[in-house]
Amino acid sequence: MLSPYKVLDLSNERGQLAGQILGDLGADVVLVEPPGGSSSRRYGPYAGQVPDLEGSLFFWALNRNKRSITLNLETAEGVDLLKRLAAEADFLFESFDPGYLDSLGIGYQALRDVNPQLIVASVSPFGQTGPKANWPASDLTALASSVALMLTGDDDRPPVRLAVPQSFFHASGDAAAGALIAHFARLQDGEGQHVDASAQASSMMATQSFVLSPAWGDIPLSRTSGGVKLGPILLRFVHEAADGYVSVTFLFGTALGPFTQRLMDQMFEEGFVDEATRSKNWLNYVDLLLSGQEPIPELLRCVDAIGAWCKAHTKQELFQLSLQKQLLIVPVATTEEVVHSPQLEAREFWQDVTHHGPERTVKYAGPFAKFSESPISFRLPPPHIGEHNDEVYGALGLDETMRQGLFAEGVI
Amino acid sequence: MTEAPLKGIHVLDFMWVMAGPAATQYLSQYGATLVRVESASRIDTARTLQPFKDGQSGPERSGLYANLNYGKLNLALNVTNPAARPVLDRLVRWADVITESFSPKGMASMGMDYEACKKLNPGVIMLSSCLNGHYGPEAQLAGFGTMGAQLAGFGELAGWPDRAPAGPFGAYTDYIAPKFTVVALLAALEYRRRTGKGQYIDLSQAEASQQFLGPALLDYTVNGVVDSRAGNTSQEFAPHGVYPCRGEDDWVAIVCETEDQFAALATATGNAAWATDPRFATHDGRLANRDTLDALLGEWTATRTRDEAESLLIAAGVPAHRVSGASDLATDPQLMHRGHFGKVSNAELGEVTVETSRMRLSRTPQVPLASTPTLGEHSQEVLSGMLGFSEDEIVELVAAGAIE
Repeated sequence: MLSPYKVLDLSNERGQLAGQILGDLGADVVLVEPPGGSSSRRYGPYAGQVPDLEGSLFFWALNRNKRSITLNLETAEGVDLLKRLAAEADFLFESFDPGYLDSLGIGYQALRDVNPQLIVASVSPFGQTGPKANWPASDLTALASSVALMLTGDDDRPPVRLAVPQSFFHASGDAAAGALIAHFARLQDGEGQHVDASAQASSMMATQSFVLSPAWGDIPLSRTSGGVKLGPILLRFVHEAADGYVSVTFLFGTALGPFTQRLMDQMFEEGFVDEATRSKNWLNYVDLLLSGQEPIPELLRCVDAIGAWCKAHTKQELFQLSLQKQLLIVPVATTEEVVHSPQLEAREFWQDVTHHGPERTVKYAGPFAKFSESPISFRLPPPHIGEHNDEVYGALGLDETMRQGLFAEGVI
Repeated sequence: MTEAPLKGIHVLDFMWVMAGPAATQYLSQYGATLVRVESASRIDTARTLQPFKDGQSGPERSGLYANLNYGKLNLALNVTNPAARPVLDRLVRWADVITESFSPKGMASMGMDYEACKKLNPGVIMLSSCLNGHYGPEAQLAGFGTMGAQLAGFGELAGWPDRAPAGPFGAYTDYIAPKFTVVALLAALEYRRRTGKGQYIDLSQAEASQQFLGPALLDYTVNGVVDSRAGNTSQEFAPHGVYPCRGEDDWVAIVCETEDQFAALATATGNAAWATDPRFATHDGRLANRDTLDALLGEWTATRTRDEAESLLIAAGVPAHRVSGASDLATDPQLMHRGHFGKVSNAELGEVTVETSRMRLSRTPQVPLASTPTLGEHSQEVLSGMLGFSEDEIVELVAAGAIE
């Protein structure tokens, strides 16, 4: 879909997902790594569990459908070469600390002078400008600034993140979206622009608009294990089944209440709740709780009953019931269960990608969507460091002698 | 002057709840024309979800709904009423893009699946977004992002190793899938621009979200290792955690990724000896002794407010940030600088706060904030102005119950 377009990806671990999204969509993406390799290659886990710059699974997960060149941007020749590459590119992604590329003379304005059509998309913790733009930051601190962290975890322990860092992925997704939106502006008048994605602003999406609660005058939300507390109302979804964990979406209101009604009917049939419990007004239950007509301990008793019912069944029994009776119950899947999911298998989701040198086949999570006319293909494995120096610099008109000279000088 | 980037792109939007409307909101923010079809007999679930204006529930009072739908045109159409057919036909012909997030078969039952729409509009792009994709043994699972998050594998990875899974918060896949929906639609529009071909896009929210779990999935497919929740620890760095501060439920996140940052942390917290302490002097030592280090660092933070801890550490060059709650954001100087929050209004709500676009585009910013629509607010405008129905025809549509 994007096959006519060239992308330069200067990103590190913070932004490499964005370039991969364009690569999946067919663009020709060249990852520009410092000599010695991208810092993202130093993030685990590693293939064979042995740290190795060519074996970082974190790197592999973000860099398929890309070619790799090395380039030392902290040299005059490196800057010159980057400008020559940028002159022919349609998109450039970067995720350095704000101001770093400017300090090298290749910030947005300088790149615009070289190529006014170029779209530059930046990923950073807080955005390119502003009082926190230059704050030292990491995934965890950016997530902390977004409120998403505050809403997750057990109420007797600190807020907690996911084991796979997420905040820069949110920003990278938005950088890719922003770059394509900017492309439609460029189609009108041929001009590029600078897209500024922020891990803070992007991760705020993961609060379900509860960041607006104070401004709207509604009760605050707080964290609880496997669910959330809305003011005094505890909503716990995660319960222990006989052989692991399941999630039971136990919510109320005109849209979600009917699911809870069916859940209670099922539990009644199996003797886990009495007639009075299953006949509660689940459509109006939040208002009953907030007005005090329904005491909070009654809600907690229902949550406990759900827990007891789950414990009496296996994950699969509960999931099959959910499919048959339109309940909102799913297993808390492990990566092992995800990889062996019958649903994903039937959809031929997993993709075998052949890596070279050493040759091996690696199973990857598949395309993010299925396109009927122009399907996504995983045509390139994640590259070795500088694997494509010869072809990329060759195409730029550097012959072998010149390339060897640049190598000797530490530029590539 | 350059027009808004997506001006002239017509989107017929049957999406509802979160993952769908959050995606089409991006298109609306940058100039596409969105017609949201909504039925009074089956209102959008988002209208039943918090936060509510002044804490009072009601279909026109949801902040979630407003945040995801401001700027869109709202057509109240009972799609199951046969009399609605001519309206649907003209909408399909009008559209460049049709989006829907019903469970599979929803569109087919309305006679509106891709094949049917393609007959009316051969170049149309249609995107279906549902929990599990449009085919497969579990495709019919009715579902919300709370479930997608668990099916996709996020829950197992959120929380403490000695306890049950704690998260992720809410309908997590609904917060990821929209970004992929947007890029999928824009790429398909670009492809159609060059080739004239429309297409059908089947986006499983669970599959799209797995792009955010790549390293953990590879750890299993390559190493056979089943990753699990690990608190706030990192495989790469220590300290890496959330530490208690003075005050109720007040916390600060602190991370050291480099030797310089750790040396600065040691100095800033009055523990210069840490830099030479054999337990902490090396990167590997800090990883091996992370629990001890966390406890010592926690003692330091516990005697300070989160503001004190944050400002001391930032001044020293150490990554740190208070764990913000929603009530902190109105005064977050960075969000104020970025103009992240804006105001929209409508007759039912008066003026309310919403979030603006999450990105900033230097040359073509988000279009000016428009009102957040009430149900059916734009029915007349869409039917008459955009689709060319006469006044008499509209009266008939209303009488037949097609227009609500």
